[in-house]
Amino acid sequence: MDAHAKVKVPMHLRRKLIPLLLAALACSAVWAAPGEPLPKAEEILDKFVEVTGGKAAYENVRNEKSTGTFEFVGKGIKGTVTSYLADPNKSVTNVDLEGVGTMQDGTDGQTAWQNSSMQGPRIKQGEERAASLREATLRAPLYWRKLYKHVETVGQETIDDQVCYKVVLTPEEGQLETQYYDKKSGLMVKITMVVASPMGEIPTETILSDYKQEGGLRTPHKLQHKLAGMDFLVTLDHVDYNVEIPENKFDVPADVKALAPK
Amino acid sequence: MLPLRLVSLFFALGVAAGSGDQRKLNIESFEFIWTTIRDQYWDPTFGGLNWQAVHDELRPRMDKASTMPEARHVMREMIDRLGKSHFGIIPSDVYGDLDEREEGGGPAVTGIDVRVLEGKAIVTAVEDGSSAEAQDVRRGWEVVSVDGVPIAPALRRIAELDRDSTMLELHLARSVQAKLSGATGSHAHVEFVDGEGRHVTKQIERSEPPGALARFGYLPPMHVWFQSRKIAGNIGYLTFNLFLDPAHLMPEFGDALKSCAECAGVIIDLRGNPGGLGIMATGMAGWFLDRPDQRLGTMHMRQAPIKFTVNPRLPTYRGAVAMLVDGCSASTSEIFAEGMKDLGRARVFGTRTAGAALPSAIDKLPNGDGFQHAVADYMSEGGKPLEGVGVIPDVEVKLTREALLAGRDPVLEAAIEWMHTRK
Repeated sequence: MDAHAKVKVPMHLRRKLIPLLLAALACSAVWAAPGEPLPKAEEILDKFVEVTGGKAAYENVRNEKSTGTFEFVGKGIKGTVTSYLADPNKSVTNVDLEGVGTMQDGTDGQTAWQNSSMQGPRIKQGEERAASLREATLRAPLYWRKLYKHVETVGQETIDDQVCYKVVLTPEEGQLETQYYDKKSGLMVKITMVVASPMGEIPTETILSDYKQEGGLRTPHKLQHKLAGMDFLVTLDHVDYNVEIPENKFDVPADVKALAPK
Repeated sequence: MLPLRLVSLFFALGVAAGSGDQRKLNIESFEFIWTTIRDQYWDPTFGGLNWQAVHDELRPRMDKASTMPEARHVMREMIDRLGKSHFGIIPSDVYGDLDEREEGGGPAVTGIDVRVLEGKAIVTAVEDGSSAEAQDVRRGWEVVSVDGVPIAPALRRIAELDRDSTMLELHLARSVQAKLSGATGSHAHVEFVDGEGRHVTKQIERSEPPGALARFGYLPPMHVWFQSRKIAGNIGYLTFNLFLDPAHLMPEFGDALKSCAECAGVIIDLRGNPGGLGIMATGMAGWFLDRPDQRLGTMHMRQAPIKFTVNPRLPTYRGAVAMLVDGCSASTSEIFAEGMKDLGRARVFGTRTAGAALPSAIDKLPNGDGFQHAVADYMSEGGKPLEGVGVIPDVEVKLTREALLAGRDPVLEAAIEWMHTRK
């Protein structure tokens, strides 16, 4: 993914080049055993739904609350994280870091926003907004057909001794995401993507592990993020479903609303 | 699942051989430092330096280092080869001392601020309510010796060593401050030359620095303070000592600006401010800019460039802005001042800044020491590097001993005059 960030071409061309670059990377680093056909991405994504609880279990979910800890690995900076998701694509995440304060990220399904003690509030636009709305989708594994216009299995790759299928997903708006699914368990173990923000387009990698079953669904409780040379670790203590959430939980904060064009 | 893209919130964060075991830990620390720089230094060519050769040359000396000072000396020599700011070793006992004193805070101070003007250590400020004020120490006095140790020889050595460095003023002032600081409740025996040329000796009790104790990762705990007031009729004056403790400092900064909505201008005094969390500069700039997609500059990491984009904040302060800087304004202070200058949003007064503006991180080494290392180069929005160059003020104004003795502040006066005379 680093290779994408280093290509010095205009943005619109760069976007067009990304699939080619991915293909090039796939040629150099990813292969299937001779004679072994790759499963279709559709099968892999549907299997993920099955192995994490099944369609019926997902359909029972009306909302989701995750709580845990957040750590800048090796930097001595720690905090807590709480995240809420609700139908159809509402979310709000609070991260409280020692020595820094509170950072928030959310959407009411229309307005996607961030607010931090250091930089203040802002409203996300364009590709960044689209990505936030997509990611806030409750029961997202069920809706990949709606969220992505194209999915394709491009090869196999070994991650921590697990042979994984590599699936490239193309959203309606925004950049490609690459997801890696363990061939044996069917669980997603890694995601790579380029996160767009006003601060730039940053290649990121997330390793998902420690899947636990709560409320009928298996979800990863350990998320190791790598971006811009930094490592972050999110460890979830609990993922609860169908909890009481105040009606106004997903309201856009007043200082964010004030930024909206009149 | 937890939204993954919230990581974009953190782009900006985004700042001690004896026993065999200790020697092993020191060697591991040496390797940690070398590897971290190999993998994370923004310029993979190291500016032409053969980084592997540096390792191969110094590793045998590291293997032989039998005391902590010897080990630190080798590690410092390694990182000094890069010739950049924001690389350093923080001895583990600094953390220990500070932890023990957490109730009271870090090293105690006399309440005297000092700059070296024309080779002499001159008192530039005396903190209200401090022991120095109670002892009637005055601005403009020269500090001649502290606890019987003359100041001049050390200043001459530093002046010789750093004669070509933009960090000279910073190092000179820190040398004097280090001698003045000490344990809480101890006394500094300070010999001054007063405004009349008389030698005066004062016993000044050291006390905890003003402000609230702030922690951030492996940075040693530090006191952070913020002050604001109206001066010269209707001009807002804001000053603070560090860009840390954002949970408190950012609201204080914002509230001060809101209370100054009708001010004829705002002066932000960054003299002596050594920096802190770089991204706080963008948060502060947001109060002065009303258009999105404006940047203070760009941090160039090996992985990707990260833009210091400003989020406009409401209500925008639209009046005149002056920023005061000197050779002890460093890092985030420089990013803030140069960015605001490049965007045409502030006029900068004072003297050239320290030219020490590399974004850095602090890791804990296996031997317990802290390791500060720059992770990126920084270019201002105007396309200029700040490292080794500094911010060149729009209006250069130097402090003089004579002005200080007369109770004047020529830099502040120049900013006020500009605000009163501008159309």
